Amino acid sequence: MTCREFIEAAESLNPLQLRLMETANQQISTHTRECAACGKWLESQKLLGSALQVLRAHTAQRAAGPKVELAVLEAFRTQGFEPVAAVAPDRAAPAAWKLSRFFEVGAYAAVAAALIVGIFLGARMWHDRQAPPSQVPVQSAAAPQQINSGVTTLADNSKISGNVTTKMARKSANSATANRAAVGPNRPQTANEQSIATTVDRQGFVALMFCDPLICSGEEQVIRMELPGSAIGAGEGNGSQPVIADVVVGDDGLVRAMRIVN
Amino acid sequence: MAEVALLTEHTDEQLLAQALDGNEDAFTALYRRRQGAVYRFALHMSGSPQVAEEVTQDVFMFLLQRGRGFDPSRGAVSAYLFGVARNYVRRAMEKNHSEALMTTPAEDDDPFLVTDSDPVDGIARRQTSKAVWKAVLSLPEHYREAVVLCDLQELSYAEAAEALGCAIGTIRSRLHRAHEMLVRKLQSSAPALAGFSGDAARCLS
Repeated sequence: MTCREFIEAAESLNPLQLRLMETANQQISTHTRECAACGKWLESQKLLGSALQVLRAHTAQRAAGPKVELAVLEAFRTQGFEPVAAVAPDRAAPAAWKLSRFFEVGAYAAVAAALIVGIFLGARMWHDRQAPPSQVPVQSAAAPQQINSGVTTLADNSKISGNVTTKMARKSANSATANRAAVGPNRPQTANEQSIATTVDRQGFVALMFCDPLICSGEEQVIRMELPGSAIGAGEGNGSQPVIADVVVGDDGLVRAMRIVN
Repeated sequence: MAEVALLTEHTDEQLLAQALDGNEDAFTALYRRRQGAVYRFALHMSGSPQVAEEVTQDVFMFLLQRGRGFDPSRGAVSAYLFGVARNYVRRAMEKNHSEALMTTPAEDDDPFLVTDSDPVDGIARRQTSKAVWKAVLSLPEHYREAVVLCDLQELSYAEAAEALGCAIGTIRSRLHRAHEMLVRKLQSSAPALAGFSGDAARCLS
């Protein structure tokens, strides 16, 4: 330990602490034995500490006389103490405080309402997200069944009975317009399939192909055409007579369905 | 007075609060707990028992009138009382032109000084005490305050800093400087007393 380090360590201590430190710190005791100046300084500080301790001990029992206590207590008794202001009762609350309470309650109610609405909307959104994946397969799976059950394919067209043809013939020309709307371009593909399938029953259209969603997409039009009787497999007696039919044509040029008008 | 004894468990802050609400027992308990330290501080600072009593009375009068201004977050009640006492001591010494008081501590008529079992040892202690006190009184005020609070009142550096309204580092440096000055004063004024000859280091006791 150098003299500088010794001074830095000893500067912050009072004489009593220095005495304790000297006995506790081996480095300090060694340094004070080796360095005469530091040893002398430490000894003087220890002596000062002892002298201050003597002074402290000689005045430790000193205190103010009884007359001081009497004077102070007399002053206390004559002192007028103002009571601490009591908490104001509720009815004495100012209007501004009541108004602030009103707004406070309103704020709490608004927060509660917002929370309820948020929970409701969140549950609704969660429900909506959960529902579509379970419904879409059902629709897509159901559509082909309806088509298969309600639509007579092209191969079966030769077996169309005259009864069916008669029923088709009774349909009015207005139904063609309705069909045009029913096979509009913006409808989903499954709806197209369903509409074609259901028109067999309701409008008399006969599907001429299986409407795969990839094939039957796009715009469709109903065109009234005059076809040779042989083209639709009419009887031999009527083979030379033209047949008026409504034909559903897709934007790819393929015929989706057909209805015999006359 | 039984009520006063029951209040010994209360803190200074609790006693002060009750006293300011008109509880005389609480005020009495607080006075009896703290008046000795305030008196000794004023006595060590001024060297006069009369000034010390005046200051003690003034400090507690001030506490009655202005005690509501005490802020517990800024320090303890004891530090607050020492701070008030410091100002009253300064004022009293200016009023009494007490340079004479400072250099001549009061003659001890205290019975504690004459009850030593060994009369010679008692006389030596009395001379040592008087010489040291005289040296303390001759210190500049800032240094004297630090010595009185830390060495004689045994306050910690933090408590002394609260009482004097300064930093702890300031207390440390003032104490170090004050100790150097005290040693020099004792070596020059009483070299034969208590080993302060400067040449040989001798123990007091």
